[in-house]
Amino acid sequence: MADDASSSSGCAGNIIDNSINQDELIMKQQREIEKEISETIPLVGELEELSSLEKEYNEDPVYLLKVKDLSSKYKYIRRTRPDGNCFFRAFSYAYLEHLLTDKSEYNKFYEIAKNSKEILVALGFSQFTVEDFYETFMEVVQRVGEQAGGTPESLESVRTELHDKFNKQGYSDYIVVYLRLVTSGQLQTENDFYQNFIEGPRTVTEFCRQEVEPMYKESDHIHIIALSNALNVGVRVKYMDRGEGSQVSEVIAHDFPEGSKPLVHLLYRPGHYDILYA
Amino acid sequence: MSEPQSSLLLKKQLAELNKNPVEGFSAGLIDDNDIYRWEVLIIGPPDTLYEGGFFKAHLHFPKEYPLRPPRMKFVTEIWHPNIEKNGDVCISILHEPGDDKWGYEKASERWLPVHTVETILISVISMLADPNDESPANVDAAKEWRESYSEFKRKVAQCVRKSQEDCS
Repeated sequence: MADDASSSSGCAGNIIDNSINQDELIMKQQREIEKEISETIPLVGELEELSSLEKEYNEDPVYLLKVKDLSSKYKYIRRTRPDGNCFFRAFSYAYLEHLLTDKSEYNKFYEIAKNSKEILVALGFSQFTVEDFYETFMEVVQRVGEQAGGTPESLESVRTELHDKFNKQGYSDYIVVYLRLVTSGQLQTENDFYQNFIEGPRTVTEFCRQEVEPMYKESDHIHIIALSNALNVGVRVKYMDRGEGSQVSEVIAHDFPEGSKPLVHLLYRPGHYDILYA
Repeated sequence: MSEPQSSLLLKKQLAELNKNPVEGFSAGLIDDNDIYRWEVLIIGPPDTLYEGGFFKAHLHFPKEYPLRPPRMKFVTEIWHPNIEKNGDVCISILHEPGDDKWGYEKASERWLPVHTVETILISVISMLADPNDESPANVDAAKEWRESYSEFKRKVAQCVRKSQEDCS
């Protein structure tokens, strides 16, 4: 890479260098792929039978065994758009859906959610900017609360409403932004602890600015640990990859925070999270 | 939501900046009917080569703001390593995370949805004071800044003078 290829600028208009033209082409292609994804895959999809996964792996005996293992524990899957925000979107959708039928968990969560903005402001985030995302997030949370534990009919209608909101870019992305901020807030609050998980010379704050707060940045273990701790919500992630386990056919699970009772179940396949239902 | 969130958010920022102006710049709309196009006047930061200058710039916000960044362009002529000759500002925080063509290793601060006109301008003002010559948008300015500082100073002084004439 040329000397000019540093980080703080992406404007290569004046630089004549073949490697950069190549980069421009790759970026153009990347945009086209993103555009196609956003036109064909909804932000959050409909409920599908787990067997729909089998079709994807017709030619792949290892994965087929894993799908079989998965289907002994789960019946349905709900796919999310692979745009780098999928963990946050899948998590919030699955959790809010759960809260509809768990009023006492809702009451506990409501207090945590309500106080979350003050924590961010105390950390130095500007009230002015956090407020907008907070308000949109709380608006959706409160809609869930109004209907939680209601009749089957009212639950059905609020489920539809939730599904619509999660598929409206405005609402959906504002929720993602807010959860990214909450995750960043948790990392910075427990700075000493999380510093150990960060590779390289970056500080926790730098890591947050580069890997947590920006949209479309993919989530890793550290994001999940931080968010599940911040909101005190148990998450089980089933890891379906080619990693070697004692049993190849088994889909390994991790619970976050460790030892918690999982209320949200997610399927991880390299680079992507979807929601699982028992 | 009949009015897009972006428009409400920008209106809120404009009202806030009018009520509590921030030192170093002033902000308004290019056309009162278009909340997505702003004009800012940056006062050359003290103790820099740009001191005394008044630099006008335009900010164009996308409908997806604050999920996507605005573009910023100086309309007053300005000579700086990180500003293209046509005025386009090249600063990492105005680039989306997806535009990370230099790869993971060199990730620097990218666009964040919590940025406002105020935080953008604070970054731009600090860039005026402290150019980043490793990623120049104006290669000639960067070269001068590194190798013939007196020539660089002369060109900047010229811009400062010109900006004062334009403003008076």
